[in-house]
Amino acid sequence: MILATLLDDPAHGYAILARLRERSSGTFDLAEGTIYPALHRLERDGLLSSSWSSESGRRRRVYELTRRGRAALQERRQEWRHFSRAVEAVLG
Amino acid sequence: MTWLQHLTDELTARGIRGQDRRRIVSELRDHIACEPESVERLGDPTELAGIFADELATSRTRRAAWHAFAALSTAAAVLVSSQIALAHAGGYPGFNHGLSLALFLPALVGMLIAPQVALVSGTLAVARTLRRRRLSRMPAAEIGLVERRTRVALGAGFATIGGLEIYVLNFSARLPAWWLGTVGGLGLAAGAALVWATRSLAGARTLVSATPGGAGDIYDDLPAIGFSWLRGSTWRLGALASVLVAALMTAFEAHAERSLAEGVQRGIVEGVAAAIGFALLGRMIGVASPARRQARRAVVSSALDSVLGALPGPAGHRVGDAERDHAEHVVRASYAEGRLALEELSARIEAIHAARTLGELRATVADLPDVL
Repeated sequence: MILATLLDDPAHGYAILARLRERSSGTFDLAEGTIYPALHRLERDGLLSSSWSSESGRRRRVYELTRRGRAALQERRQEWRHFSRAVEAVLG
Repeated sequence: MTWLQHLTDELTARGIRGQDRRRIVSELRDHIACEPESVERLGDPTELAGIFADELATSRTRRAAWHAFAALSTAAAVLVSSQIALAHAGGYPGFNHGLSLALFLPALVGMLIAPQVALVSGTLAVARTLRRRRLSRMPAAEIGLVERRTRVALGAGFATIGGLEIYVLNFSARLPAWWLGTVGGLGLAAGAALVWATRSLAGARTLVSATPGGAGDIYDDLPAIGFSWLRGSTWRLGALASVLVAALMTAFEAHAERSLAEGVQRGIVEGVAAAIGFALLGRMIGVASPARRQARRAVVSSALDSVLGALPGPAGHRVGDAERDHAEHVVRASYAEGRLALEELSARIEAIHAARTLGELRATVADLPDVL
């Protein structure tokens, strides 16, 4: 889901969280701080890359998808569609 | 104390310092600056620092094991090529043609025994990280085991390079300068690679991980099938391995020296050395651990008793939905803790629903320690 929020353009932690909240209409309510370990892990796995930016006068870390990250997102989307279709078919 | 200060202290306590800590703190400072009230939703700083430390420890340890493996491969290449080049340098001068036996013997130990220790320990270290590559948080005990294996391997690597340098010194009067210079220089380069890997390991060791769970044992490194008859006694495994390397050495040396007697003699020495190595280092690198394994079994079975205790019974008894639900809960909790990958989770859940007897059901949760 984090990957999906970064599909169109790069963003920093708070903005990613805001996008998640907005798109899910507040369904996912978790300890917001945990987004950062997740971002760092995705970066270590090579799915994201990040760099410092000081555009708005504040130093912030901006994340963007790597090529591998895009591929992983595509794959996970497909898996999920598969799965949710199956669940829907069962639940009717 | 502000939330950020609290987080900084917790990160320090978990061994996250310098650049890593600065980055985390400034990202969260920016987060709070975007919306001051969000500090209420960031969660507990202790928990957050714990997640950072556990994940970082896992990935740094994994990386250190691979760095060590790369550095040791360099050392091995130097060692092997030095011996191949020896043929072009006039051949092996013979043990009594060096400067001193006091130099020859440590060189021999370093060049013959240490590389084998490094190979076994270093391979086991990366083998475990491969097995756990999907885990974002390895149990702290398991991280400790990988670190010990890496440390032993690096120590043996240094002994190998030390032995090689002593060998160069010992035969400095007998072998040509080009051989001495090349091998001595490459040896130093391999030593530098080992120092680099040691620093990588030291960086991993400053992190404090607290993920619960067991360290596992040698059976977690071996393929599950075909080794079941060796379960229960790591000593049997050690004996088998010693006999195996002795036989290999016998065959190799008998062929190389064209003498069966010579081969058998060296094979026996090799087998005894392997057995001694197993006895001395086995426990440290998690190869010989019968006591711990039994302890773990006891924990698992008592935990299982408490979970399946509602309806205890012999392994052959039929299971009902209540026990299946219990087992599924255990497996889901393990997934939540990062012990199982998603594919594993679904495979286990399938197995749980397919289980007809208590024994089959227990098998699906038997390797999930401490979650109960």
